[in-house]
Amino acid sequence: MAFLRDRKVRDVLWQAAGAIVLVALVWFFVRNASENMVKAGIASGFRFLWRDSGIEVPFNLTGYKPSDTILALLWTGIVNTLLVSAVSIMVATVIGFTVGLLRLSRNWLLSTLAGAYVEFVRNIPLLFFVLFWYFGVLAALPTPRESLNFLDVAFLNRRGLSIPTPNDATGLRLALLAIAVLIAGQWGLARWARARQARTGRDFPTWAVGFVTCGLLPILALVAGGAATSWDVPTLRGFNYRGGFVLAPEFVALFAALSTYTAGFIAEAVRGGILSVRQGQIDAARALGLAPGRIVRLVVIPQAMPVIIPPLTSQYLNLIKNSSFGAAIAYPEIVAVFMGSALVSTGQSIEIIAITLAIYLTLSLAVSAFMNWYNTRHRLVTR
Amino acid sequence: MKFYGFAAAVACLVATPAGAQQLAPSPTLDAVKARGNIECGVHLGLPGFSFANDKGEWTGLDVDYCKSLAAAVLGDATKVKYTPTSVQQRWPILQSGQVDLLARNTTITFSRNATLGVNFQGINFYEGQTFVVRTKAKVAKVADLADATICVAAGSTEEKTAADWFRERNLKVTIINFQKNDDAISAYDQGRCDAYTAGLGALAGQRIKFKDPAEHQILTEIISNDPQGPTTRWGDERWQLIVRWVLNAQIAAEALGITSKNVDEMKAKSTNTEVRRLLGVEGKFGDMMGIGNDWAYNIVKQVGNYGESYERTVGMASPLKLKRGSNELWTKGGLLFTPPFQ
Repeated sequence: MAFLRDRKVRDVLWQAAGAIVLVALVWFFVRNASENMVKAGIASGFRFLWRDSGIEVPFNLTGYKPSDTILALLWTGIVNTLLVSAVSIMVATVIGFTVGLLRLSRNWLLSTLAGAYVEFVRNIPLLFFVLFWYFGVLAALPTPRESLNFLDVAFLNRRGLSIPTPNDATGLRLALLAIAVLIAGQWGLARWARARQARTGRDFPTWAVGFVTCGLLPILALVAGGAATSWDVPTLRGFNYRGGFVLAPEFVALFAALSTYTAGFIAEAVRGGILSVRQGQIDAARALGLAPGRIVRLVVIPQAMPVIIPPLTSQYLNLIKNSSFGAAIAYPEIVAVFMGSALVSTGQSIEIIAITLAIYLTLSLAVSAFMNWYNTRHRLVTR
Repeated sequence: MKFYGFAAAVACLVATPAGAQQLAPSPTLDAVKARGNIECGVHLGLPGFSFANDKGEWTGLDVDYCKSLAAAVLGDATKVKYTPTSVQQRWPILQSGQVDLLARNTTITFSRNATLGVNFQGINFYEGQTFVVRTKAKVAKVADLADATICVAAGSTEEKTAADWFRERNLKVTIINFQKNDDAISAYDQGRCDAYTAGLGALAGQRIKFKDPAEHQILTEIISNDPQGPTTRWGDERWQLIVRWVLNAQIAAEALGITSKNVDEMKAKSTNTEVRRLLGVEGKFGDMMGIGNDWAYNIVKQVGNYGESYERTVGMASPLKLKRGSNELWTKGGLLFTPPFQ
């Protein structure tokens, strides 16, 4: 037993023992559950995923129909979760950074307003937010017959915002292509500008150029490709506007709630990160004659980022998980369509909950991995 | 060879020491007797079927079934513990044994019976799906709802029935699925939807909860057939037997003209053998199930027969004012029918 005196060997042994106990425990529970289910006459297994779902999901981007399988329903739920999470993360980040910076502003009114926003948001349960945005805003909107009319093409009412869609999407595809080209070009321009600055010390207005091209190129593309000749304009038929695309109020309410709520927490992370940058750095930048905006962008933010990113990552993860609050207002995300409708219609709770768990875990791990990669890449090189 | 096998089987049965009332074991019945109450899974709150008033007293057609079961098994209709269950919770709560049975507006369907490990023990309400719409929307029949937005509870049979109905007729509707009935109703009330769909009986109950019930109208056209009744989990056949025959006793009492008012008189004087068997004067039917012989007497005495229960909870004596319709005895043009008590 002499090898037990080696600390490394002991560590490995302990870990192996821990892993074996864990696996045995999981195996025990899985076997127990499946035996009990067979005994109680409850169907088990994953074959139900290929059964017809028969469940309507009016808001979907996957082209899903009720005659599709439950697997297709699950995929629709995942896409809807990703959609609302992605859009909310972007907007929450923008609001969060703005509020965080404003809170540090010397302008008393702005910093007080930002502080009040953060305190308000942080001390109210998210469910309240979601329900407020849904029922509060719904009640304020008009009925379909009294819709707010925007130039006879877009209509806002309690059923959502109906907007026209082009019947012929060539121009639209060209515009999308133009945006892709633009992003690539902007990235190249930024690289070139950075290299030039390192070489010559001269700065280049990368962002200004970006904004101009951003506005111009897609329009040029639309003109070149011939703007859509005919549009599918929503028209009032019977009860509702039909045709075009309907931005469902459930999506808007969930998006608004998630982004405004998470922004409050992001603002605090940003404030903490910025306060961690030593005053000496700012003084030095000022002594070099940098303008206040550039001090923030070139000196403060890069040094604050390593402090901001870890809490920011957990806010992103929270937001993705919080998107499950959509179930409370009928937004068809994973929990609503899969753990709600599909679970009740098939009754296979254990399998469905396990799949949902696995999906959230995968999403969260992917976001964490990306944020860690980003953090490592942008870590300040200290000399 | 065959003969020897048969002889051995008979020998086995004969050799087993059997008393006059040797019954198959029933863990649920034993647990109920030890606990002193019946755990009944009911709806979260549906006037007419299972609804708790401000004093916490439950009333309704399904609640009356739970009370009848308690009267039959424990001799006291008040010995019921009600567990309110949502659409999603009902199956796990029944399967895991947290309740002894469900009596909660749950439609009997093939796939539920085949895959959920549950058995349906009879029908205490023939429900049919329809829609509630705003009166000013001027909807006369279901097909007028083309292009409408419809709110529904996710995972209910109504969700699928409505989707199928409009799809089969090539009519486009938008169906919004809410997790709870109450959320779907309040969204409809807020104007998110043009219609809310559920069973006729359920809608009659829910309409009372609207801010202004007069502004809403329930369509008379029925698009489905949703029989509902007490539900048990698989296993424990003797418990299933009791649940089934308590419901039959409620209906048979009405068919035989036994009411809560005349039950004592009937028990003392009736010469009808079926009445005498039902009320425990002859035949010892309670013993055969392992409960008291006055089981059906207690049901009628303490809760009433099916018709009395119906009128009080959902019928003309209630705010729901539902006609008997299919829920009338077969002799009077309805669908209610029981096998003979023989």
